[in-house]
Amino acid sequence: MPDVEDRAGPAAFSLMPAPHLSVGMSTSRMTWLVSLCLLPAAGWGVFLFGTPALIVLVVSVCAAVLAELAATLPFRRFTLPDGSAVLTGFIVGLLMPAGVPAFVPAAASAFAILVVKQTFGGLGRNWMNPAMGGVVFALLSWPGLMSQWITPRGGSAQAAVMPPLGALRAALGAPGVKDATPLAVLSRAGFTFSDIDSQVVGWINSHVLAPLGTALAPGTFDVLVGHVAGGIGTVSAPFLLLGAWFLLSRGVIRWHLPVCYAGTFSLLAAIFGGLGTGQGWFAGGPGFHLLSGSLVLGAFYAAPDPVTSPLTNRGKCIFGVGLGILTFLLRFFGSLGDGVAASIVLGNCASPLLDRWTSRRATEDVREGAA
Amino acid sequence: MKSGLVLSKSMLSENPIAMLFLGLCPALAVSVRVIDALWMSVGVILVLVLSGLAMALLSRHGEVDRGSAAAGLLRALVITSFLTASFEAGLLSLAPTASAALGIYAPLIAVNCLVLGRGMPGVTSPSLGSSVAAALGRGIGFAASLVLIALVREALGAGTITLFPVGGFGGTIEIPLLVEQPVRALGFAGGGLLCLGYLAAAARVISGRAAAKSAGKEAA
Repeated sequence: MPDVEDRAGPAAFSLMPAPHLSVGMSTSRMTWLVSLCLLPAAGWGVFLFGTPALIVLVVSVCAAVLAELAATLPFRRFTLPDGSAVLTGFIVGLLMPAGVPAFVPAAASAFAILVVKQTFGGLGRNWMNPAMGGVVFALLSWPGLMSQWITPRGGSAQAAVMPPLGALRAALGAPGVKDATPLAVLSRAGFTFSDIDSQVVGWINSHVLAPLGTALAPGTFDVLVGHVAGGIGTVSAPFLLLGAWFLLSRGVIRWHLPVCYAGTFSLLAAIFGGLGTGQGWFAGGPGFHLLSGSLVLGAFYAAPDPVTSPLTNRGKCIFGVGLGILTFLLRFFGSLGDGVAASIVLGNCASPLLDRWTSRRATEDVREGAA
Repeated sequence: MKSGLVLSKSMLSENPIAMLFLGLCPALAVSVRVIDALWMSVGVILVLVLSGLAMALLSRHGEVDRGSAAAGLLRALVITSFLTASFEAGLLSLAPTASAALGIYAPLIAVNCLVLGRGMPGVTSPSLGSSVAAALGRGIGFAASLVLIALVREALGAGTITLFPVGGFGGTIEIPLLVEQPVRALGFAGGGLLCLGYLAAAARVISGRAAAKSAGKEAA
């Protein structure tokens, strides 16, 4: 939003046409606030995966800042205070696996800033979300390095460290694991969860759910809290939702897009998700698919980017539904990560069109009416 | 118009790939390896120049005036297809691996050259020199863009540069660090389009500056 200027210095007086309303929010304040809200999830990632995660985050942010400087300083512009470069680098880092070699986040951030954003003229003129573009670029270029996961602190060592979705995809090829929920498939395939998980789930099962005749699958606690291998900032849904709640309450993002996105995805996962694991129609547990992967981060932090998502509420809803469908297809049938970054990039193509369709016109276009 | 001027104009400001966006399909498909781009360039330049020559000779003998526009197109089609088929047969016997690498894009040179030759002065002007110069310019312009894209895509996307094997040199240069972890995204069609976009932007900046310079000269 290049037209919303940073209200840095108080002018003596200003002459402007009506309406004279201020929401006390500027572009730079918004972007810094989003970065701030991502800090808890990042902290959790660093706690789980240790120093490598911190290195990845620092490298990706620094690469984004350097790329921004390299692209803008020759034109005598200094755009770092708007915070968008730091936010882009931060989100790129949060979507990376902790074990990735440092050049991958650096390249992804540089691609995001130089190619996706500055080539088109900088903040507000890019049609694709820079961070998601950078991540898709990394996924296409180095698919092997983009799946170098690290076992979370306190987790049990596995033969192959994999996030829940990757493990599920790998497990479904084995015989005798089907006809079960995703978590049960994982258990049958020999995927082990942490000791904390078995204690918590065991306690809940024996004290709360046993009288009711049901039980939680092992791994529920791990997936819910984000105590699994995965992207540095994407594993912890609770911390991401905490930040998202703050952003929603401050009006930085509106509910339409994330709710439509997650809702559509859950509905599709509930209807068709069970087919892949052999349970049949209407048997997919959307919870597993919502929480494992980068959907929460994508839905609340990347997709609502005001530059690349529709501006109208109706447009946001349609955009969210489209993203839900795309993410469902790419997650269940694709191979490009969990499909969130790719579907946001694809969805961005449609958002100018959605703006045109859904924006209210001040006057009817006479020529169009005549035609 | 002078032949030299025609040559430079059809090479730069009317560059088929970077300025006119013609022949993009082979430009994306054949620019993954430098050697394929080179063979494709050889084919396109040969077919364009020889067909330009043939058309100019025909028009010199007044053949162009006979028949309708459709007949003219048919004539051009027959000439380019004949030349392309000859090139294809020659490539198959001389360099079978290159022929296999080009695949369907070798016979498609006929279509490509028809598209590239559209609006060339060969059909209308009886001047042998300018029609051959225009064909050569288009061909070299196409080849230069294609090889440039292929160079970037192969060097970054695969970490290698594949050329002709000469003597003890096996034909492939490996770029130290890139060959281990190449930027595979550039090898895909999307990566090709990305390179194409930057090439087109650069070409516009350069030709815009050149135009401004010549305008400044005229004003002075």
